[in-house]
Amino acid sequence: MRRGRWTKRILAIYFVLFLLFLYGPMIVMAALSFQGPQGAVTFPMRGLGFHWWDQLVNGPRSETIRETAIRSLELSVVSGLVVAVLAFSLSMGYRRRFRLDGVLFYLIMLALMTPGILLSLGTSFLWRYMETETSLWQTALGTNVVWGLPFAFLIMVAVWNRYDATVEEASRDLGAGGLRTFREVTLPLVWTGVLGAFLFGFTLAWNEYDRTALLAAGENTLPLEIFALTVGSVIRPDLYALGTATTAVSLIGVGLFLLVAAIVLRRRARGVSEPREEYGELAGENGGGLAAGASASRAR
Amino acid sequence: MSGSSGPEGRPGLHVEEIVEAEQVVGERAQEEVALGEKERTGARGRRALTTAAWTAPGAVWLLFFLFAPVLMIVLVSFWTRTVSGFEAVWTLENYEFLFDSNVYWDQLWNSFWHSLVIVALALVLGYPVAYFLAISVTSLRYQIALFIIALAPFWTSYLIRAVAWIPMMGRRGALNTALQEVGLIGEPLDILLFSDFAVTVAMLQLYILFMVAPIFFMLAQIDRSSLEAARDLGANAFKTFREVILPQSMPGVVIGSIFVFILTMGEFATVRIIGGGTVSSVGTIVQTQVASVQFPQAAASAVFLVLAMVLGVFVLLRFSNLREEL
Repeated sequence: MRRGRWTKRILAIYFVLFLLFLYGPMIVMAALSFQGPQGAVTFPMRGLGFHWWDQLVNGPRSETIRETAIRSLELSVVSGLVVAVLAFSLSMGYRRRFRLDGVLFYLIMLALMTPGILLSLGTSFLWRYMETETSLWQTALGTNVVWGLPFAFLIMVAVWNRYDATVEEASRDLGAGGLRTFREVTLPLVWTGVLGAFLFGFTLAWNEYDRTALLAAGENTLPLEIFALTVGSVIRPDLYALGTATTAVSLIGVGLFLLVAAIVLRRRARGVSEPREEYGELAGENGGGLAAGASASRAR
Repeated sequence: MSGSSGPEGRPGLHVEEIVEAEQVVGERAQEEVALGEKERTGARGRRALTTAAWTAPGAVWLLFFLFAPVLMIVLVSFWTRTVSGFEAVWTLENYEFLFDSNVYWDQLWNSFWHSLVIVALALVLGYPVAYFLAISVTSLRYQIALFIIALAPFWTSYLIRAVAWIPMMGRRGALNTALQEVGLIGEPLDILLFSDFAVTVAMLQLYILFMVAPIFFMLAQIDRSSLEAARDLGANAFKTFREVILPQSMPGVVIGSIFVFILTMGEFATVRIIGGGTVSSVGTIVQTQVASVQFPQAAASAVFLVLAMVLGVFVLLRFSNLREEL
């Protein structure tokens, strides 16, 4: 027992070190973005202030950065929406077994496994071969959705695994049509999952570089701009400010989602637990039969 | 019901009547089954259509933006180069050029080993984290909270996280300064930035989450009572780990390894940012070829990159029978 506690303590310390490894560089970067005007891209800090943040918003590069940020935002929101819709619809199909479900599943997993550089290379070939003038909306949107889709699909599959299909049957038995059941029973129960799918699609596209790299013909997204600023020119602390800002956008998005999810789950837990307790005894008695019935009806 | 006693014990009922009744009941049941079957075949067609309608949009999207591009790379690798790109004239020139290029094979081999090293490091460094989260932390609330904190960087830009290593690694970066302050080194270390070492450390930080998450999910599924059982049966901590915990986490280890291997193999942005011009990978080679409008050659390079990845995944899969264990 005592040894167990020691293992736990050592692992806890290790975990803190791990978090330092993960977050340390980002924290250093955020701190350095508050350098004074004479400050360089490394320590020591020379003064303290918002000089480089001001450069980011009003400086000579600010116009391009704003432009690319807006373009990225539009692309990510649309990517998120497409990812959410496609993942939801795919997962609806996977609630039953169907022919080719294995093949399609492998295709979805291939989306996870294909390196981004290959995806943008192949897509640029494809459009070149079709001899079509392209914009981000025909190419980068496609590849970014391919990146988000498998994650969103797995989320939705997890949602359906916990989902109790008998409520849909109850709704149908009570006389609601298929569409009404879908709108009033199914969607309200799984919309947090769909929101999660959207968020995955959004943040993955917001941060994606490889899958856009060879596709943006003059229309840079923010990650492409950041890459150009890093590799193509001398780094200044305003790049750190930009990095800190985009990281903040991502983390705020995730935080909002977690907040919404926590609130919904808590409310649902409260709403469901009360009547269940009332019928607890009955459910306990017939629980086996009910479960068997539910699984039988699902099998049908 | 359990109380199905034989007919002989009941007064006032004749055996024939019971047999007759059973027959009637049996026939009706058969009729009902037949009726249900007829309904089912009708419904099955409708269900198949519904399923097709649900899955078609995603399938079409993936075929066009995933399958077709990958196919295109293979095709273009056999096509002829023109000034503006490529034309559909079959040739083996690109592969001949590739086979003559020692630089490419060295690089492919390097990337392959480098990725395997990162996989091994990610496993060794990431497993304890997953173990801590899944086994040592017993409260579900803390488990979820810590897991989210550990995973949050996944939702931030890997480009930015690579950039963030620059102030850490430079000659006068935070690491060198810290090491000098402590007195471990007298002179600042030059190997910290624009080196293989720097790329390895940065990639480890970028992709270790892909190792931690799958292992965590597998470990979290372990029934805690089985750990107690192992202890009660006299196994010490190490034996419990080796014979109960490790086997059950193997699918997570393999999935995580495949993730990290593939992501680092195909990597080029981090290599450019952290490695500067001194470190290259197959990804940077492909990008350079694209930049100089050598599309068919870039395609051929990409094909062998994929083959190397498939080989790596195959090797990693030998460690666990995923299909059976999932």
